[in-house]
Amino acid sequence: MLIHAEGLKKIYRMGATEVHALRGVGLEVEHGEFVALMGASGSGKSTLLHLVGCLDRPSEGRYRLDGVAVEALSDFELSRLRNKRIGFIFQAFNLIPQHTVLENVELPLIYGNVARDVRRERSLDILHQVGLGAKVNHRPTELSGGEAQRVAVARALAIEPVLLLADEPTGNLDTETGEGIMRLFVDLNQRGTTVVMVTHNATVAAYAGRMVEMRDGHIVRDSGVPAGLAPTAD
Amino acid sequence: MDWSARIGIGLKGLLLRKTRSLLSALGVVFGVAAVISMMAIGEGARREAVEQVKLLGTNNIRVKQLQLTGERQAGGERRYSRGLTQEDATVIREGIPGLLAVTPLKFVAADVRFRGRQGIAQVVGTSPEYSDVTNFRVGEGRFISELDVADAKATCVLGSEIKQELFGYREALGAAVLIGDTWFTVVGVMEPKMIREGRATAIKVRNINRDVYVPLTSALSRLPATDGRPGIDELAIRVADAERLSAVARLIPRFLSAKHRGVEDYEVMVPEELLAQAQRTQQLFNIVMGSIASISLLVGGIGIMNIMLANVSERTREIGIRRAIGATKRDILGQFLTETVLICLAGGIIGIVLGFGMAMVITLYAKWQTGFSLASVVIAFGTAASVGLAFGLYPARRAAELDPVQALRFE
Repeated sequence: MLIHAEGLKKIYRMGATEVHALRGVGLEVEHGEFVALMGASGSGKSTLLHLVGCLDRPSEGRYRLDGVAVEALSDFELSRLRNKRIGFIFQAFNLIPQHTVLENVELPLIYGNVARDVRRERSLDILHQVGLGAKVNHRPTELSGGEAQRVAVARALAIEPVLLLADEPTGNLDTETGEGIMRLFVDLNQRGTTVVMVTHNATVAAYAGRMVEMRDGHIVRDSGVPAGLAPTAD
Repeated sequence: MDWSARIGIGLKGLLLRKTRSLLSALGVVFGVAAVISMMAIGEGARREAVEQVKLLGTNNIRVKQLQLTGERQAGGERRYSRGLTQEDATVIREGIPGLLAVTPLKFVAADVRFRGRQGIAQVVGTSPEYSDVTNFRVGEGRFISELDVADAKATCVLGSEIKQELFGYREALGAAVLIGDTWFTVVGVMEPKMIREGRATAIKVRNINRDVYVPLTSALSRLPATDGRPGIDELAIRVADAERLSAVARLIPRFLSAKHRGVEDYEVMVPEELLAQAQRTQQLFNIVMGSIASISLLVGGIGIMNIMLANVSERTREIGIRRAIGATKRDILGQFLTETVLICLAGGIIGIVLGFGMAMVITLYAKWQTGFSLASVVIAFGTAASVGLAFGLYPARRAAELDPVQALRFE
């Protein structure tokens, strides 16, 4: 099992008030799944994605990623874990503007201490795969939205992640371009990458093999597509 | 994370806002330029001082006739002091042990001519010991001899520049030159001495390459005295042991006061002591300049820190992205520290160039000698890097301590 989360709670303190973003969430995801996390804004889906992506630690609860107990890891170990296992894709693409396309893709490999020629070769290879071989020396500002998101996908894939996390990946794209990105996700998933995607768009969610719906910090519906997995509403 | 990648990321970060980065480096530029030019001036002054001591001869003491004025002049006349005379030289030579040589000097204002050519020269009447006292040697021919002095012969030794002016490349030895109204035979030419045009220091060094030496007796008997005084103008003394220099200098007035009947119409000068004093003044100047330079560096550092804090908050999202794809706190700290150090080093390089430029301008217009030392470059670079590290640490820590999730949400 890739993701095994039990009783996850996340409480933010904003001054005197406490915000309960997650109120006890359990989620299990097998290797090779494509999961769509759905819900209105404020439902806690992004917070769950951040916890699953090891960007943050839960206030309460247990989370195992590929057998590693995440809640016990230090900030440094979390960084390393993200760097080796997890690829992130964001709604706003989040490319770094002062770096070229190639450098953006190379960045996680630089942080992972991958040797220069290895990282260059691998990055170029992936950029060719996503159809951007001709734009490796462009700046992010010179790209269209679809191209920028492909670069972001290439950057996420450069480290060969076990888990690809996407936060509204088509939110800033027109329908046609968004479909292109989704087909890329489906293709990656079919080749074995586990994908967890946050979206509020039902059309986009339909590409996923499993739908999990959240409301007010709880999972309220889980289609639980893979056979043998019980729905984990709380 | 390898260094080339780290520096590459740092540079890209700086080039993101080129004008801002450049402007923020200005404080360091001026601080370093001040350090460099200050050290160049200090080094120049040091070299100049050493040269001047060499020019006068080491371990020298000079006793100079003073021009008394007003009341003191009247006092001197009342007490019948004859001023500095040859007898003073004898008294010192015989009374004080540990002297290598004592030589009297008489300056004469007279034109020096050869076949219608006239040279600007200082005619100096002296004795054979002059060469030993000043360590200034003849290049060709011979120096004034005991016999020349004893017989008040009309012989002279030319400085290299005046020889060049009167004779060009022709042979000077044996020729007769007109000094004042008297013909003198050239018996020797001095070796040239390197003299640089320097700033006015405690010691006034004349251009000795324009000296014309004649036997003291000849200067007194054959040439008209400049001030009409029968005595001599200066005594040059060389002490054998450098450590006894000031002791001897203190001793001299005791020997002279009887002859001068208590009139202080002379001054005792130790060039090396004056130079040491000049160097202490220089050191004070260095400290003051150094403080100004460090204030400039401090202000520059604070300016850079300010800019970097602004950069960090503007680039919060970038920091979040980097953290999401696996940058550790150390990576972020390193990135912003690298950026600050790079700004400071760039400022340092510009400052070094500017500082040397300023030193060259000073040399050109103020005629102050300046010296370039590798040490100053190393110090300037080291200071710039330390300023970068010191003032970069706080913004870099702020960047590193940002919460990845919060940073990613930053618009």
